[in-house]
Amino acid sequence: MTHLRWGLIKQQMSVQFLVRTMNPLSLGLFVIQPAVFSAVGMLLSRAAGNSTPDLVYSVIGGGIMGMWSGLVFTSTFDIAGDRRNGMLELIVGSPTSLNLIESIRTFTNVLSGLFSLVLAFMAATFIFGYSFTGVNTWGVIVSLLLLLFAMWSIGVFLANFLAWSRLSGTFVDYLEMPIAFICGFMYPIRVLPVWLQHISGAIPIRWALEAMNESLLGSFDLKYLTIHWAMTIFLSLVLIAITTWMQVKVHDKIRLSGELSSI
Amino acid sequence: MIDKFVHIIRIYFAEAWLSYQGRFAITSPFGYIAGKLGFPFFLMLFFIFMGKYVGFSDPLYIVIGNILLIPASSGMGGVTLAISDERQWGTLSYVLGSPAPRGPVFMGRAFYYIVDGFVTALLGFGIAAGIFGLDLSTVNIFLLMICSLLIAVTSSGLGFLFGSISLVTRDGWMILSTFLSFLYILVGVNFPVASLPMILQKLSWGLPLTRGIMAARLVMEGEGWSSISSLITGEVLVGLVYIFIGYFFFLFLEKRSMHSGTLDAM
Amino acid sequence: MDSFAIETKSLNKVFITKTGFWKNKSKSTMAVEDISFSVERGELFGLLGPNGAGKTTTVKMLTTLLLPTGGTAKILGMDVVKQTAEVRKHIGFAFSGSRGLYNRLTAFQNLKYFAELYSLKDDFANKRIPMLLDLVGLADRADDRVETYSSGMTQRLHLARALLHDPEVLFLDEPTVGIDPVGSRDLRKTIKNLLSLGKTILLTTHYMAEAEELCHRIAIVKKGNIVALDTPDALKRRISGESVIEASIQSDQIQVLIDKLKVLDQRTVITHDTTTEPEKLCIRTTEPGRVLELLSPYLNPQYILNLEARSQTLEDVYIAIIQGDQA
Repeated sequence: MTHLRWGLIKQQMSVQFLVRTMNPLSLGLFVIQPAVFSAVGMLLSRAAGNSTPDLVYSVIGGGIMGMWSGLVFTSTFDIAGDRRNGMLELIVGSPTSLNLIESIRTFTNVLSGLFSLVLAFMAATFIFGYSFTGVNTWGVIVSLLLLLFAMWSIGVFLANFLAWSRLSGTFVDYLEMPIAFICGFMYPIRVLPVWLQHISGAIPIRWALEAMNESLLGSFDLKYLTIHWAMTIFLSLVLIAITTWMQVKVHDKIRLSGELSSI
Repeated sequence: MIDKFVHIIRIYFAEAWLSYQGRFAITSPFGYIAGKLGFPFFLMLFFIFMGKYVGFSDPLYIVIGNILLIPASSGMGGVTLAISDERQWGTLSYVLGSPAPRGPVFMGRAFYYIVDGFVTALLGFGIAAGIFGLDLSTVNIFLLMICSLLIAVTSSGLGFLFGSISLVTRDGWMILSTFLSFLYILVGVNFPVASLPMILQKLSWGLPLTRGIMAARLVMEGEGWSSISSLITGEVLVGLVYIFIGYFFFLFLEKRSMHSGTLDAM
Repeated sequence: MDSFAIETKSLNKVFITKTGFWKNKSKSTMAVEDISFSVERGELFGLLGPNGAGKTTTVKMLTTLLLPTGGTAKILGMDVVKQTAEVRKHIGFAFSGSRGLYNRLTAFQNLKYFAELYSLKDDFANKRIPMLLDLVGLADRADDRVETYSSGMTQRLHLARALLHDPEVLFLDEPTVGIDPVGSRDLRKTIKNLLSLGKTILLTTHYMAEAEELCHRIAIVKKGNIVALDTPDALKRRISGESVIEASIQSDQIQVLIDKLKVLDQRTVITHDTTTEPEKLCIRTTEPGRVLELLSPYLNPQYILNLEARSQTLEDVYIAIIQGDQA
């Protein structure tokens, strides 16, 4: 890409919103499912005898779950849907690279997921009376931006993988829960066995999320936060590099196997 | 009479075979098993660590509940998709236009998903015994099998209902998946029904699975038939109600479509 | 520029699929075996052949959507494998059917989207899209969602999409499938207009009349190979000197009539069409007088309901070639 194609970005984002985001499915993805996860967290807490729910992990964590599930689901649906309705071959057959299209789409999907997180913050504030006192606001903002970047890098990686073959959609589905589980979307990483914590260290989302949760819980430990932010950036860049390396191979593979348009 | 019966049985198993073939046409056995057990397994782990963090001290409670949810989602989801796919692929008119009795056609499709969910649940218990140290030594395995099978059958009734709904709206399966996620809360999968707010508890007792899961939990604690018979009877009755509602709702929609021509529209 | 618009040499495509319960067996399918042809600039070239002959696979290789297993293909002198990005800028393609459009978007929105994929400048796109919608007769429905379109309208929108970036070479894969006669006539008129603008067009079709009316040259493809390549007139001359006699017959007497005709020379081809009511015997022969003589005793409603002699059509040539006797 020699220059930023603003027209394409604008057009692809608007198509993405109109075709994929603005449908009843999104209600389930971005609102109902996160709410159910939050409810499970709160009811588990109630069953354990606690009188108040944990707002950061149960409520805002639900929003993170919504963002993530939305990203995985929409990415899978983007490629599978395009393959089914014949769009994939028209996109691949155009002079614009599929990877660029996927990057813009994933960006749109990640932004759509923010709706989940905003709702979770609103629920925490207006329903459960979370006061946000003592929160490291800048820490939260920087961590959130990096979290979006990390999710985008994973999303683009997955999209590339999904284009590989029609079967890869099934495998991407399997990734949704393991990543949520291993990165501690709704509980602190420290409750996991140590070896699992090590594995999650390879996933950029985990670092940004940990920094965001700690900032929400009032941590101003700049060293801790900087390490987490740096790890997020580093691992996201690694993923982007792998994706860039993979895209030529994917482009050739799908044209060899004829899987561009198969249902 | 016998001919008619044989015909119905043949349709039933032909449909079951079709469902089975449909699943394996697009995936490999590895992908299939990973998909079948992978998602529930990691979801269960997720709930276990959520519980651990908030101080819910009984991870096996979550393990058992989530394993029992497998036949339920298989029965419900499978039947819904078996019906809604007909609409999606535009083959519904051919099924409806044929003289085949509707019951065996769609229940035949349910058969595969019921068996599939049942077998996966048993496999799940085996794996849980290995990984989480779930103690099956005092468990009446036969009763546990009965409970798992029953949960798959009763939930297929709900599948019929959602499948029928999916024939009149293209968002049927979104409604189903939303409902499926409510099951994490409502039927005693992750925590006892008693810890729900009162209004949700009432809703919970009106759904299939609640009694079946409760009965299976008693079996897991080493209880026998006498302790679970009333729960099982209740589960059967509630399940039958949903199967009938689903079936008649389908027939109703089929009749209505002859006037409005809406069934096969995307 | 002396290169051909389209040129293929020994183009070949083999698909490998995994089969078996464990997906551990490989099965290879030869979709295209050996296809070589060249198309001049400004020419309309037709690919004809039965389903599964390899026409669409060939088109997909030429449009860079499939990589060939062997052989070479060039568009405007550019190799489709090595210069993929360049080739894509200069070609447009449209496949048949309702796939390939976002149904929830309007025709205008769909075209605007593709305009961006082809890096068209806003000013250019904003003038070109209404012009193309007008060309394909969709100007008054431009702001309606594509899901409300008939198959003919969808097909015309495909053509507009393929023309967005004003490509020099156009690939149309069965463009008139599923369109009513008036719609196909309009589409054929549009295609002729494109030719007058100097475009090179490769067309695949099942409709012989369409191929005969439009194509400068035709290649007939059978089992992944070209079995005939010439102008429509030259193809028809291949079986010149032959006449076609069609007899509508009582189906239970078919064998009696065929037995009677067995005395004709070996070049006579008799085909029996059971799809019509009444059934038809089609006799392609160099001895029409002899055929009439042999059949005349049977010209009564018990045997022959109607007898008709006519000249060769492209369809006759096609059937003769595809059935193997003229290849």
